[in-house]
Amino acid sequence: MRRLAENLRIFFQGALLSYVALFAWLRPVTYMASKVIMPLNQLLFFTFLGISATGRDSASFYVIGNAMQIAAINGIYGVTFSVGGERWAGTLPYLFGAPANRMSVFLGRAFFHVLDGMLGVVLAFTWGVVLLSLDLAQSDPLALGLTILITTLSTSGLGLLMGCLSLITRNIMFVNNTVYFLLLVFSGANIPLASLPSGVRAFSMSLPLTRGIAAARAIIAGKGLQEVVGLLMGELAIGLCYALVGYTLFRRFEFQAKRRGTLEVF
Amino acid sequence: MSRKWKVYLRATLIAAEMTLRQNVMDGFIIFTVLIQPLLIALLALWMLKAEGGEQVIFIVVGSGMTGLWSSLLFISGNSITSERWTGTLEMLVGQPTPVPVIVFGKNLANVCQSLGSMVVAYLLSAVIFGYELQIAQPLLFLISLLLGIIAFVTFGLIIAPVFVMNPAVQGWQNAMEFPVYILSGFLFPIALLPDWTTPLSYILAPYWAARALHGTSSGGASFGEVLFSWAMLLLFSAFYAGISAFLFRKMLHKTRVDATLGFQ
Amino acid sequence: MNAIEVRDLRRVYRATIGVVRRKIKEVVAVDGIRFDVRPGELFGLLGPNGAGKTTTVKMLTTLLIPTGGTARILGHDVVKEASAIRPRIGFIFGGERGLYWRLSGVDNLRYFASLYHVDPDTTRKRIPYLLDLVGLADRGQEKVEGYSRGMKQRLHIARTLLHDPEVLFLDEPTMGLDPVGARELRQVIRNLQSEAKTILLTTHYMFEADALCDRIAVINHGRLVALDTPVALKKLVSDLSVIEIEVFGIQEQALERVRSLDFVDTVAVEDLDQKQSLRVHSAAGSEAIPPLLEALDGVRMGKVVVREPTLEDAYVRLVGGNV
Repeated sequence: MRRLAENLRIFFQGALLSYVALFAWLRPVTYMASKVIMPLNQLLFFTFLGISATGRDSASFYVIGNAMQIAAINGIYGVTFSVGGERWAGTLPYLFGAPANRMSVFLGRAFFHVLDGMLGVVLAFTWGVVLLSLDLAQSDPLALGLTILITTLSTSGLGLLMGCLSLITRNIMFVNNTVYFLLLVFSGANIPLASLPSGVRAFSMSLPLTRGIAAARAIIAGKGLQEVVGLLMGELAIGLCYALVGYTLFRRFEFQAKRRGTLEVF
Repeated sequence: MSRKWKVYLRATLIAAEMTLRQNVMDGFIIFTVLIQPLLIALLALWMLKAEGGEQVIFIVVGSGMTGLWSSLLFISGNSITSERWTGTLEMLVGQPTPVPVIVFGKNLANVCQSLGSMVVAYLLSAVIFGYELQIAQPLLFLISLLLGIIAFVTFGLIIAPVFVMNPAVQGWQNAMEFPVYILSGFLFPIALLPDWTTPLSYILAPYWAARALHGTSSGGASFGEVLFSWAMLLLFSAFYAGISAFLFRKMLHKTRVDATLGFQ
Repeated sequence: MNAIEVRDLRRVYRATIGVVRRKIKEVVAVDGIRFDVRPGELFGLLGPNGAGKTTTVKMLTTLLIPTGGTARILGHDVVKEASAIRPRIGFIFGGERGLYWRLSGVDNLRYFASLYHVDPDTTRKRIPYLLDLVGLADRGQEKVEGYSRGMKQRLHIARTLLHDPEVLFLDEPTMGLDPVGARELRQVIRNLQSEAKTILLTTHYMFEADALCDRIAVINHGRLVALDTPVALKKLVSDLSVIEIEVFGIQEQALERVRSLDFVDTVAVEDLDQKQSLRVHSAAGSEAIPPLLEALDGVRMGKVVVREPTLEDAYVRLVGGNV
């Protein structure tokens, strides 16, 4: 019991600290800009682009797709930096050396970013309703909330993996931005999956976000929770896979680093 | 007098050369200049597939412009600030060639580099998608491109000193990326936007560049319209060049009074 | 005409402390200094860390605007005529920065040569010559990020000589170099002086100033405390002897007791690994030893030596013991 309490404490402490550390350098204004303005920009741009292609009636397709994709921002940038940030702050050796339960520490990194991500998605949906006449009247709020939660979780799983990758490369922003845009292109956010070639579609299904977006669209169109359960389970599973791969890498790095004594130089 | 200009020209060119040499090794720059516009082109090409082949040149030019603008904002905008980060700003201020000349050279390199993304998008659509690409009025397009480059480079001469003097403004860089894509009509006509935004579009130089470039590549613009766009571009360029001289003087004085030339 | 003329030069830094309740703190880095440097002279600015040396050099190289006073380089005012000064001076602030690490050594030099208006033909000939001069002949094509600190410092020297400036400002040029590298660099500096260049060198190593400089200005807390040739500065302490006592872990209390002795002029403590070297300046010479030992009762001691003062001791006296 004490062990559990201890692990929980480590989890929350590490989570809060890493979150605060990440944003400590940001002024509130800049934080606002990234939380409110940037998602709005992306939403507007791709919705208008989509409308110019497929007509005004199709607006909600793009609004939902891009609003959900906002979860990816936190998953990719936020979580990656929380993990990778340890490297730049030089605190990674201390992390590896601590006796704390690895899993608690690792998952703790993602916790607040998940909350943050959900907030971002909700904000994006609000913009959609206010500015782009998104109609949420037929959606089950609980189902939608659950979909947002699960999607944010699964993209955080991807973020954890990318965070570990960032430990071995200097050009991590390059990877981050590329993945972000790949999600934009292949997750069904802006291009219906049906119109992608089958090989590419298989790739799309292996990404987080894809099923989440599909579920969100179904719910907003009026479908109930039980009809999207399969998608949500799939989404969660994918996220878990990425997180597990990330965790394995994390432990491997630690082992390698300790063995080769190269903790400082990744 | 002419020796001075020859010397400045050489300095500009070498600043451009050194910028290019350093850029090719920077992942962030490669992304902004090459990958992002390409992915936008890919996305747009897929989304507008139903419209058919004529749209393709529109997308190629449009996504190239998104690359130009992002490059201007993030790379040219930071051209002085990045010197501070690498600790070379003091070197640059203390040497005899005026700092605007160097920044001009850097901007030139960045703009030309991101034009490369337009070329790659062109090739991408021609090769992978098998589209036939035709530029409606090649000569006019080339002139539009030249005038557009000048406008962008001179705009870069404004944001660079502003970003140095006011670090808070840099936080708005991200916020300035997409709105210009939207308001300038890079990838969709501004007719889609609510009417009250139109005056905002008119005061943006990228809007006029997009009008000229789209008009001369996709066709559909009368010569009079193109000429008007050119006039606006020249006007903006002159305006930017004018206030940039003032801004640089102010920045160079302020940084030396506040002792902010060194690494912060 | 003097190469460098400094009159009542002053520089105040303002810093705002606190986020909610903001207070402005003013730090006077340079507090009204005055000196002249003659053409062809190798002039030293000597002082402890934080004395105001680098700030002074930054003002003289047009990188910082003085808060008060004036300075003229080769007859031109540093604020109003900066563009006339810049082509004729060279400066090094050293350290890891100031070079483009993604570019090779040669590319860095090419870039700066062009900025300093050196024509291409001269550049082509001068770069190999300078690289050879500073001992980087075979490493020129490598990227600067792979250079050691000493190599970067040497590349800085090459860079600063590209346009053949008349006045050179070298700010702590041998700091961070290993002893061999530092010695080589000092030789390069001596050679430069023989080319009739005016050099202003800052350092906190007394022996370096002594070895190289024609005249030394000692600066402390932003003020000039002495300005003379090394020989004359030594005379400042010729009336004193130095009693050097090896101590093991001396406490502040004991130091205070020593300082309060009336025949003690200055006291300096130098840390040497496991022990300290206590240097007491006193006119009393060896007569001072018994009272000193009494004051140091309880402190574990080693050797006790009485010797003639060196220039280093003059420096210590001038900066009041806080080296």
